[in-house]
Amino acid sequence: MKTGVVRAAACAAALAVVSGAIELLKGHVPVLSLAVLYLLAIIPVAIAWGSVYAVAVAVGSMLVFNFFFVPPLYTFTIADNRNWFALLVFVITAVVVSELASRSRRRAEEAEAALRALRKLTEERERLAGEALEAEALRRSDALKTALLRAVSHDLRSPLTAILASADALASPGLRLEADDRRGLAETIRCEATRLDRVVEQLLDLSRLEAGAAEPHRELWHVDELVGQALAGLGAEAGRVRLDIGSETLPVEVDAAQVERVLANLLENALRYSPPGSQVLLRSEPGATELRIHVIDSGAGLPEAQREALFQPFRRGAAGHGSGLGLAIARGFAEANGGRLWAQDDPGGGHLVLTLPFAERRLAVNA
Amino acid sequence: MSARVLVVDDEAQILRALRTSLRGAGYDVETAETAEGALAALAANPPDAVVLDLVLPDGSGTAVCRELRTWSSAPVIVLSVVGDEAEKVAALDAGADDYVTKPFGVDELLARLRAALRRADAPAEPVVEVGELRIDLEKRAVSVGGEPVQLTPHEFALLRVLARDPGKLLTHTMLLREVWGRGYGDESHYLHVYVSQLRRKLEPDPARPRFILTEPGAGYRLASP
Repeated sequence: MKTGVVRAAACAAALAVVSGAIELLKGHVPVLSLAVLYLLAIIPVAIAWGSVYAVAVAVGSMLVFNFFFVPPLYTFTIADNRNWFALLVFVITAVVVSELASRSRRRAEEAEAALRALRKLTEERERLAGEALEAEALRRSDALKTALLRAVSHDLRSPLTAILASADALASPGLRLEADDRRGLAETIRCEATRLDRVVEQLLDLSRLEAGAAEPHRELWHVDELVGQALAGLGAEAGRVRLDIGSETLPVEVDAAQVERVLANLLENALRYSPPGSQVLLRSEPGATELRIHVIDSGAGLPEAQREALFQPFRRGAAGHGSGLGLAIARGFAEANGGRLWAQDDPGGGHLVLTLPFAERRLAVNA
Repeated sequence: MSARVLVVDDEAQILRALRTSLRGAGYDVETAETAEGALAALAANPPDAVVLDLVLPDGSGTAVCRELRTWSSAPVIVLSVVGDEAEKVAALDAGADDYVTKPFGVDELLARLRAALRRADAPAEPVVEVGELRIDLEKRAVSVGGEPVQLTPHEFALLRVLARDPGKLLTHTMLLREVWGRGYGDESHYLHVYVSQLRRKLEPDPARPRFILTEPGAGYRLASP
């Protein structure tokens, strides 16, 4: 209701403005030709508010023009055919323009409605996708926990069983043991305890990585020192590793303890999946901004489809020993240090590639 | 007379295992379970060596070590755990001689203990020989298998600090301060790179070093002669 009043007032104002303009111009231009100026009021009204207001403005224009500007002045005489014709043109213009405008308005509204519907649909889909993703993440973390518990109970229990059995045998007064037997049992306890320690260490590494708490302490290192530390941790098996390390490479900037873990895990994996007694090759090769370290074994290798799965926790190859955490941890630490780790196609056997970033800073101390 | 060793740890089972093993190896063993107990035992009857856990119920092994160093030079071997490297290095910087990481083998602990006790008695030698490596500290001459090796002044300074006390673990901070001076305590990356250079000149296989050994996260030592 209120809008109706406002619009009528606006229409009257438009009429008044155009009439005023005609009053000002009529000294310079033949007054009858100025009637066309009323279209300037009619067209905007038709576009904005539709044919009812526009036709009213058209009729109003005609009357005002007739009353104020067409002789005899100040009377309504529509005797002249030209006035009828002008009125007709005004009314047709009003109707046609308002029809066109309302059609385009309708189209715009339809488009907007379609857009709104589309937006709502998209939002809905995003929400659903988000929920699905969350559910998937939960399911995966649940699956991970289940796998973790299964792996932990297996990997912790089997050495514990061996330790308990050996200790019982040693402590039992009823058993008659030779000195060699005692040594063997003690050796079993030692070995299995070392294995337990390794599992615990891997679980700690994994939980540090999962919690994002593996903030690397990066320093400059030469690759031979990092490899040396990894080899030192491998014990007698280190003898099976053949090295091909360029002596004049630039230092890399990494956390030595974490990269040592990466290298040790890669070498352990390679040693485990290659025939007993065979050699594993560690080769380093400088690139433009990074050092590439290849660890190549003479095992069966893996088809392409299975290569990425190597780096998922709790996946292990056919040989099936080890906790299946080593390569997942290796990739985690490699990435935390700005490096990458992937399995490469190689007909000769298993082939893993580790990259480590070269140091950006230069040594400030002279030799 | 056999050497006397004070063992400090708050875990009864570990204490028992160490007491048995050390006695079996011919040492006189005393034990303490707290920092306060350790300091009392140290003052009452100074031992020849100390095996010291870093985490004690009433304080840190590092504090005990620092206190001990104000009046005694008896070798101290600390027991550390994985993940507590900072505390281990703090203890070494506070004067501990060596460390083993829990869980450790008794053989390893005994070897460290023997070496530390031997070093405590040994006079400083002007010529140090480790396998094929020969370092003449007075003449500043280094050779491997009889072949002289040319070292830069910094490389020789680094080797000299290690050779003054063969077998002794020197932390990054100690080495940096001795070789480069006081301002360089934290710049351990210089050290890693110079050690690598030194190894390439001395070691037949730098990735499997025999002369200059790395203690990950702690420092370096020259292998025992």
